[in-house]
Amino acid sequence: MAVPGHRLDRMFNPKVVAVIGDKGPGYMWLHNNLPLKERGGRLYSVQLDEKEIPGIEALGVQNFKSVLEVPEPIDYALVAVPRQVSPYVLKDLIAAGAGGAGFFTSGFAETGEELGIRLQEQLASMAREAGFNLVGPNCMGLYLPKAGVRFNVDAPVTDAGEIGFLSQSGTHGIMFSLVAAANGMYISKCASFGNAIVLDVSDYLEYLMLDDETKVIGMYVEGVKDGRRFFATLKEACRRKPVVVWKGGQTEAGARATMSHTGSLAAPQAVWDGMMRQCGAITTNNLDETIDAMKMLLRSKTPRGDGMALLAQTGGQSVSMTDAFAKAGLRVPRFTDATYAALGEFFNIVGGSYQNPLDMAGTIQGNMETLDRILRIVDADPNVDGMAMELSALFAARQWKAKPETLDRTIATLADHMARSEKPFVAVLHPAHEAEYVASIMPKFNDAGVPVFQSFERAAAAYRRALDFARRQGPSAVASSAEV
Amino acid sequence: MSFESVLAQARAEGRTLLTEVEAKSLLEEAGVPVATTTLARTREEAQEQAERLGYPVVLKVVSPDIAHKSDVGGVKLNLASREAVGQAFDEILASAARAVPGARITGVAVQHMAPQGTEVIVGMTTDPQFGPVMMFGLGGIMVEVLKDVSFRLVPLEEKDAREMVDEIKGRPVLSGVRGQPPADIDALTRTILKVSEFVEQHPEVKELDLNPVFAYPDGALAVDARIIIGEA
Repeated sequence: MAVPGHRLDRMFNPKVVAVIGDKGPGYMWLHNNLPLKERGGRLYSVQLDEKEIPGIEALGVQNFKSVLEVPEPIDYALVAVPRQVSPYVLKDLIAAGAGGAGFFTSGFAETGEELGIRLQEQLASMAREAGFNLVGPNCMGLYLPKAGVRFNVDAPVTDAGEIGFLSQSGTHGIMFSLVAAANGMYISKCASFGNAIVLDVSDYLEYLMLDDETKVIGMYVEGVKDGRRFFATLKEACRRKPVVVWKGGQTEAGARATMSHTGSLAAPQAVWDGMMRQCGAITTNNLDETIDAMKMLLRSKTPRGDGMALLAQTGGQSVSMTDAFAKAGLRVPRFTDATYAALGEFFNIVGGSYQNPLDMAGTIQGNMETLDRILRIVDADPNVDGMAMELSALFAARQWKAKPETLDRTIATLADHMARSEKPFVAVLHPAHEAEYVASIMPKFNDAGVPVFQSFERAAAAYRRALDFARRQGPSAVASSAEV
Repeated sequence: MSFESVLAQARAEGRTLLTEVEAKSLLEEAGVPVATTTLARTREEAQEQAERLGYPVVLKVVSPDIAHKSDVGGVKLNLASREAVGQAFDEILASAARAVPGARITGVAVQHMAPQGTEVIVGMTTDPQFGPVMMFGLGGIMVEVLKDVSFRLVPLEEKDAREMVDEIKGRPVLSGVRGQPPADIDALTRTILKVSEFVEQHPEVKELDLNPVFAYPDGALAVDARIIIGEA
């Protein structure tokens, strides 16, 4: 889907892509964009250097010596030429009526050098005058998995993207995309926008908030050029869909680092915090929190309250789990008498407990019907707003490995519960001593849509963020059961 | 005093800092609860105004050249009689002139001394990226040492003002500690919103401080006010 009439629409849904100035032996940018062909698009190369041309043609890509020779209108170009050449390339792209271009080329204002600053000003004024969509420079450009446009050779090509991601850092854009994919979540459209000399985060954000394919938006941002416009756009975007903002340069030392990274001026973090709350954004501090927040938003039902049922496997874990959720400001309420009566019929209290938290491994003993019974009883308890359950690699990995069908049955039981229940559910699976094995089974959870977090703290923080977001969206619809 | 006339006067005198009397009268007109403060140019005016405002009163020096009034002996508190006001007036003029030789002294501000409430701060600064930003915090060491303050961008909605009050770490203090009655949160919220409206209407205002604002069980009152305007 697209946003007809939007100035970024052509560049975000390209059919014809040109890579300008890619070099061997790696030909990174051509390799990144080879999938374009299998997605029904056309890829061209522009390279003057005779030495490079055989290597380009060996990839099955047609090369031209000038942008103006490319036989079709270019929807998106990736520019990787030396900085002194970049104004000439931009001039040709403007003349050719290209839909937009990402400038991988760096060495501009971020260097603090006179030449870099002058070249950046030249690019900016040329692009602004022509109304040209310049992404960057000093960036990785666009990642459009549906079109087959990529900024990294490991980034998946897929139609399943739901997350729009914006990143002032190329590395964070790539890392978020790949880690999200490893968690079974895919990008709809991603822009790494570097120095943002023409298009700024607000321009991309406006597109993503209108884009139907994009269900949630995430961003890594260090600073903005026009704070008032960002405030207005973020506020509007948050009204339409969840927006997760990971702000870089939160400390004084970090803010100094943003200066040399992307030349961003830093408003005090406390002002950012207030502004983001005011807009209704979900805020995170790092990659993991951003991934976890997305997982909660995409996989779990919307939290309606802060009363958690905690289902641990063993006693010590039940204590740690309770501490983690309570520290995140969530409640662990008593169940109703009816719940206690129902659990009391079969719960093994020798070495177990069915208070909230539950300590249930001794009762379940690997029997999924018993797990299902517990899930149904707890789900029906009116004191419970959301459920979190521990899965134990420590004790279960041996059996899951020996009999993979036991893992499949566990996942199916959880997936059935999630399909049935109106309440949010999160699973916690600490890798324990089985990190490699646990990583290998994650795709099964991802495919079943079961949100798995690596620690109690991460699950609790993700739940908390989703709850805060839901409360800001509609304070009347979402109340703490404690207040009722 | 209209905003335009105060602005013109300040600019004519090359000032960016409005006097306390100017700042308070503008805020009062804008619906911000401030302790009424009048300017006395003579000893007799100060005494008359004190009678009218009601004892006890506070006297403060008014001078475009003196920013920190108490440092120069320019503030006298808790004056309960005509004689005390007269004497304080003379002392303020003398000590200000001694501390800052050549300072232009406009007169003395006279204000009814408000009963002590829980001290909070309501302020506005201009951020280069985000423009006018409202600030709220508890007074004294909470803001100075612990930086326990909250921010929102102008213009604020009611929920924003309420969240500003609610999200400071010292929020329980406003609910009443050690047997104190709770502060009037609605009045604080209204004060923040009125200031937000005021600065939105007057983009010339670059900085504003109500410090302290006394929060009472019923109402709130700004007892000191400072406004800085941008250069023309």
